[in-house]
Amino acid sequence: MKAWRIILAAAGIALGAFGVFRLLTEISTYSLVILAVWLLAALVIQDAILAPSAVGVGWLLRRYVPDRGRRYLQIALIMSALITVVAVPMIFLRGTQPAVKALLLRNYGFNLILIIAIIGVINLILYAVRVARDRALAPAHQTSARQAGH
Amino acid sequence: MVQQRPRWWPKFSSTLRSTAVTARIGLVLGIAIAVLFVTGLLSHYQYEPWSWLPEPAKPVWGYRLTQGIHVATGIATIPLLLFKLWSVYPNQFRFPPIRSIKHAVERLTVAILVSVALVQVTTGFLNVLNWYPFPWYFVTVHRLLAYVLVGSILLHIGVKLPDIGYGLRAKVVEADVLTEIPWSENPESHSNAGTLPPPPTPGITRRGMLAAAGASVGVVILTSVGQTITPLERLGLLAPRQWTRGPQGVPVNRTAEQARVIAAATSPTWTLQVVGPRPYRLTLADLDPMAVHEARLPVNCVEGWSVGANWRGLSLLEVVLRAGGTADSRIQLISIEQDWGFNHSFMAGPQLSAALLATHLNGQRLDVDHGYPLRLISPNRAGVLNTKWLGRIEVLS
Repeated sequence: MKAWRIILAAAGIALGAFGVFRLLTEISTYSLVILAVWLLAALVIQDAILAPSAVGVGWLLRRYVPDRGRRYLQIALIMSALITVVAVPMIFLRGTQPAVKALLLRNYGFNLILIIAIIGVINLILYAVRVARDRALAPAHQTSARQAGH
Repeated sequence: MVQQRPRWWPKFSSTLRSTAVTARIGLVLGIAIAVLFVTGLLSHYQYEPWSWLPEPAKPVWGYRLTQGIHVATGIATIPLLLFKLWSVYPNQFRFPPIRSIKHAVERLTVAILVSVALVQVTTGFLNVLNWYPFPWYFVTVHRLLAYVLVGSILLHIGVKLPDIGYGLRAKVVEADVLTEIPWSENPESHSNAGTLPPPPTPGITRRGMLAAAGASVGVVILTSVGQTITPLERLGLLAPRQWTRGPQGVPVNRTAEQARVIAAATSPTWTLQVVGPRPYRLTLADLDPMAVHEARLPVNCVEGWSVGANWRGLSLLEVVLRAGGTADSRIQLISIEQDWGFNHSFMAGPQLSAALLATHLNGQRLDVDHGYPLRLISPNRAGVLNTKWLGRIEVLS
């Protein structure tokens, strides 16, 4: 394993250094400065906004939403969040292009809401099924039903 | 040696994060980026082929496939990457933040990896959306950043190989809980403490979380890939392109208005100048009698959309032969468009014998936005290299 680690690391350093060298030699200083701003901004947006928001929402859910319903809410929120990230630039850029390009013509805001609504309804149904099943099982197998939920 | 953390130091209590979870997402993400790198290099080769190894003409859908995969995978990588970064977020809060020079270097290389990955997927997606809020030339920087990205991933795999091995071998349900304390130093972590009961996950389970993320990626792919898998267009709720809404059933990337060619392209005095050992000119009246060759060829854009179309036009090879060239000639096709880097393209090898100089698209005279009166259309060739509004063809050798 150690040999593999050294080979991977050495190959990685060589390829990365090649890329950095060519960036520094082929791209104008002005563009490199803006690129550095982009790279830093990406880290800040990810580490100071997106990730903490997800962690914070997760913490709130654990704190305030009962276990049984939480998993369905979590599934719906994970999916909605990840899909929203892709949809947001298209929502903002919709209609910015000449019509013949057939680019960004759709109503992405509505479509996103539609997708989230479908995800929400599916999880609501799954939750309702779960509640109904728990009730059906409750009189006879109260303990085992609760454990099945884990 | 674990030092005492200040009381206000963040503590991560979720039992969902685990080296086993991260290793699995990382594996998928790594495969996705490998696919992006290979298909990206193939696309780069379209632009700058070696003279001794010209692009093949077969399969005709070659570039349609590889670039469709590149863009679909790139879009799918956005949610994958964010999920991966969430899963390791507690690592940002190790205490002390820097333990040693080695640790500092590792954190720096991970920061490079993360920032480059985020910028690559973001600018790649913005390129698909034709929005360029940056001063650099996208094609070059995207390729050079790809070297940095893949290099830093190889280094990252080398550094993390023991963790990756543990994570992939461990069962998702039973594996360690990933917190701000690394599992190698956490005495209560499963890998150190022997067999323990699985950490409780009273809400969503780790498997459920992986399935939810996988389903998100699936939804993103399914609702966007209709821009290149044409029968799925109606599902394309999040697809940037909509081929059915382009003129003659084909979207346009550079419009005649953007290219400022409308007057020259629609002028009745348009001619095609063919330069070679036996130079000649073709007028509009000369085109139609020669436009008897038909082919079904996709338009496949570097931006990941594509659509098959029926073309009619002149055989490029016939035009070249008449000028004194051969099937082995290298030629340059030049647009009447001025002042744009892609107003010309070079061709040699098998594509020369397979390409058409098209006058008709899907049974109709070419729309001016599609390159009226004459454009190149070749199998397995990036859309931008299928030069539109041709004014001149040079037989170079």
